[in-house]
Amino acid sequence: MTDYLRVEAVNHSFGGLQALNDCAFTIPAGRITCLVGPNGAGKTTIFNVITGFLRPDTGEVRFRGRVLTGLSPQTIVHAGIARSFQNLRLFPDLTALDNVMVALPGGFGEEPLGALFRPFHAARTDRQRRETARERLAHVGLADRAGERVRNMSYGEQKLLTIARLLATGAELLLLDEPASGLAAGALDQVMALLRRLQDDGKTLLVVEHNTRVVQQIADHVLFLHQGHLMAEGTPAAIIADPALAEIYFGGAL
Amino acid sequence: MDYLYSYLILSEIYVLLGLSTNLLVGVVGIFSVSQAAVFGVGAYIVGDFLLSGTLSFLPAVAVAAVACIALNVLITLPSLRVAGDYFVVTSFGIQLLATATFTNWTWGTGGANGMPGVPPPDLFGMQISSTRGILAVSTVAAALGCLAFWLILRAPFGRLLKAIREDELAVAAAGKGVLRAKVSAAALAGAFAGVAGGVYATYLSFIDPTSFDLDASILLLTMVVVGGARTLWGSVLGPFLLLALPQLLTLIAIPTTYAATMQQLVYGALLIAFALFRPQGLLGERL
Amino acid sequence: MLLLQLLANGIVTGSALGIVAVSFALIYSTTRVFHVAHAGVFTLGGYLAWSLVRAGVPDLLALAGAMAGCVVLGAAIQRFLYAPLERRGAAQLVVLIASLGTLAVIQNLLAAVYSPDILQFPSAWAGHVFGLGGLRLTGAQLATVGVDFAAFGWVMWFAHGTLLGKRIRAVAANPFLAEITRLEPRRVHVLVMAIASALVCLPGVLGPLDYGLQPYGGVTPLLTATIAMIAGGIGSLAGAFFLAIAIVVLQNLSLLVMPGEWSIGVTFAIFIVFMLFRPRGLFASG
Ligand SMILES: Nc1ncnc2c1ncn2[C@@H]1O[C@H](COP(=O)(O)OP(=O)(O)OP(=O)(O)O)[C@@H](O)[C@H]1O
Ligand SMILES: [Mg+2]
Repeated sequence: MTDYLRVEAVNHSFGGLQALNDCAFTIPAGRITCLVGPNGAGKTTIFNVITGFLRPDTGEVRFRGRVLTGLSPQTIVHAGIARSFQNLRLFPDLTALDNVMVALPGGFGEEPLGALFRPFHAARTDRQRRETARERLAHVGLADRAGERVRNMSYGEQKLLTIARLLATGAELLLLDEPASGLAAGALDQVMALLRRLQDDGKTLLVVEHNTRVVQQIADHVLFLHQGHLMAEGTPAAIIADPALAEIYFGGAL
Repeated sequence: MDYLYSYLILSEIYVLLGLSTNLLVGVVGIFSVSQAAVFGVGAYIVGDFLLSGTLSFLPAVAVAAVACIALNVLITLPSLRVAGDYFVVTSFGIQLLATATFTNWTWGTGGANGMPGVPPPDLFGMQISSTRGILAVSTVAAALGCLAFWLILRAPFGRLLKAIREDELAVAAAGKGVLRAKVSAAALAGAFAGVAGGVYATYLSFIDPTSFDLDASILLLTMVVVGGARTLWGSVLGPFLLLALPQLLTLIAIPTTYAATMQQLVYGALLIAFALFRPQGLLGERL
Repeated sequence: MLLLQLLANGIVTGSALGIVAVSFALIYSTTRVFHVAHAGVFTLGGYLAWSLVRAGVPDLLALAGAMAGCVVLGAAIQRFLYAPLERRGAAQLVVLIASLGTLAVIQNLLAAVYSPDILQFPSAWAGHVFGLGGLRLTGAQLATVGVDFAAFGWVMWFAHGTLLGKRIRAVAANPFLAEITRLEPRRVHVLVMAIASALVCLPGVLGPLDYGLQPYGGVTPLLTATIAMIAGGIGSLAGAFFLAIAIVVLQNLSLLVMPGEWSIGVTFAIFIVFMLFRPRGLFASG
């Protein structure tokens, strides 16, 4: 059986800085895999490579056996992989609902000819999509915030909204870049519960996370990245208990 | 009376241009000082066809629109590839290059002396030579333009464009084609400018490079900034207000040789004032 | 011989545009504002000098006076326009629009005060033709090369050899860090605008000594200069200077095969080539 997602010998450097160094790992379907590692380990960079925002210098990424390297971000979303951003990147002047609707797979009227020449048809399909978008919002617990502009929402709500937008793409593999960072305890629990629910819905998750408590509670499997290289992997308990890894993690941070 | 008609016709032509500029600058968020160049290409193409008698008005306008779509897409393409600031250079460059072409390519444009004697528009075999008739033509053109703009902004396409202006990368991450949407918007903006050019050439019957130079592009930008970005009413109000300005200036008795200078001076001051104190314009959304 | 003369003319005008490019690059790399109104400061310099010369002020003093005027204008634009816009979190597009508005105001004020027609400097020495081994260069042209190369040397020394210059480069490299380390980027920005405005005044005065003043004459030089800056690589002052010379030399050589009205086309073609094949420029730093 082929692996669900396979990252093979990926190298990438920014100028002189080798951000990814022979980076290789696989991810099984239907699980929550956590990607951990000190700041600057290359976690966001590997996300960028997988989702087509960066073309690696060498190496390749396969998803269900299909080579993704060289495809555009758009094509990769259609292939079934979507990602969120560490710095959210929501559309601040749009409403929560519109943020989600932008990410729903192409509907009628998203190009000018349809919009101009069949406006009623476009409006009708858009109403249906609005319902779908509301469901996605409800799924993350933001049903009552649909009409709010993003810039008036709290940070916690914005983080949930990024997940709703991610869900809207319909992708089956979701890459989340620090979905829980910067949240207070209550919101944190909310996000963790949500991630588990996504798993129950049949999604596969790859989550970058710094908080060991979160990793312990949600991860089925942990990948430890250091200086752009997969240094260790294992169960959350095994990774967290490893003193050498803790030294890299916290020693490097201090 | 003729005076009022002339004001209305010109304002309506500039409404089309305002919509065109608003689509690019307001909706997609691309800085542009070359929309007058596209306008000019439309005007000269229609002028050439009607003068030589090869095409009648509507087909000529259609050809002009297609040419302007192609041109505007070509002009805007760099902005889709390179960072925002570089595109300023592209835009200025295109405008200056267009002015050089309009002025020096005597064979196609009449050069600095302009192109006189463009016949009035004809529809279904009938010449429309009365000012009222032309007002009807420009009104229909502007109304269709407004309708198109309104439909676009309401449609999912409009939402996509707004999202692109706010965060292109996030739109790509949502699985949408950024390039395609921007090219479509540029194409629409080109079509508006081309039609406006056709109506302009046939109404004035004389066109020359000064109508399509950098100052004209700045005027278009001022209309959008003053009227307001990203709204239909902003694009309509801007042209009507700013084209009334020359009339206001005649009231305060400025020598005619300085009229153009004074107008441009006011446009510049308006750009600064609105950028500082009212970036959403009178009836628009924040730029 | 014609070839050599065109080459020489190219180097003369190129060094002038080189200073426009260097001063623009100085502003762009520090403040991140695409300062279109720089073309207006450039033009104002020439007119101020013209007025002073007309009023009987000696030429060198007139140049100094014009530079002072440009410094005030440049600093004012930063202090009263760009800084408030930045504080309000204005989009890049809005800053550009404000800058374009400023350019329009300056140009048309000049046109209103001095008339839109070409004005010539009365200075006799400027038009005097010197023969240099078959080359013919006017006094204004000789002054242009001399002063602009000297100015370029000064900029290089200033940016790399003085504390203030290093401070400016530090702010350019990382405005956020500069903010928290109390390099006071706000002040540095005003300072940079002042210095760059003084610099751009040099070609603004010396060029028109040769070919006259026009209120709308700043846009094309600025366009060429920004193309040189991009082609040279953002952040490389030397790149901007020498690319400006190279571009203008090419422009001049193109006169051998096509009429001068189309030289803007040559400049623009160079830009397109760079955009297609080397969008980050020849000597990009970082
Ligand atoms: N666009 C870029 N240009 C230059 N260097 C970059 C770029 N993006 C990332 N880097 C560098 O590559 C390295 C890896 O960065 P990356 O963002 O992948 O780290 P990370 O593991 O996500 O860290 P964090 O936990 O802080 O988010 C870092 O040293 C970073 O400075
Ligand atoms: Mg990261």
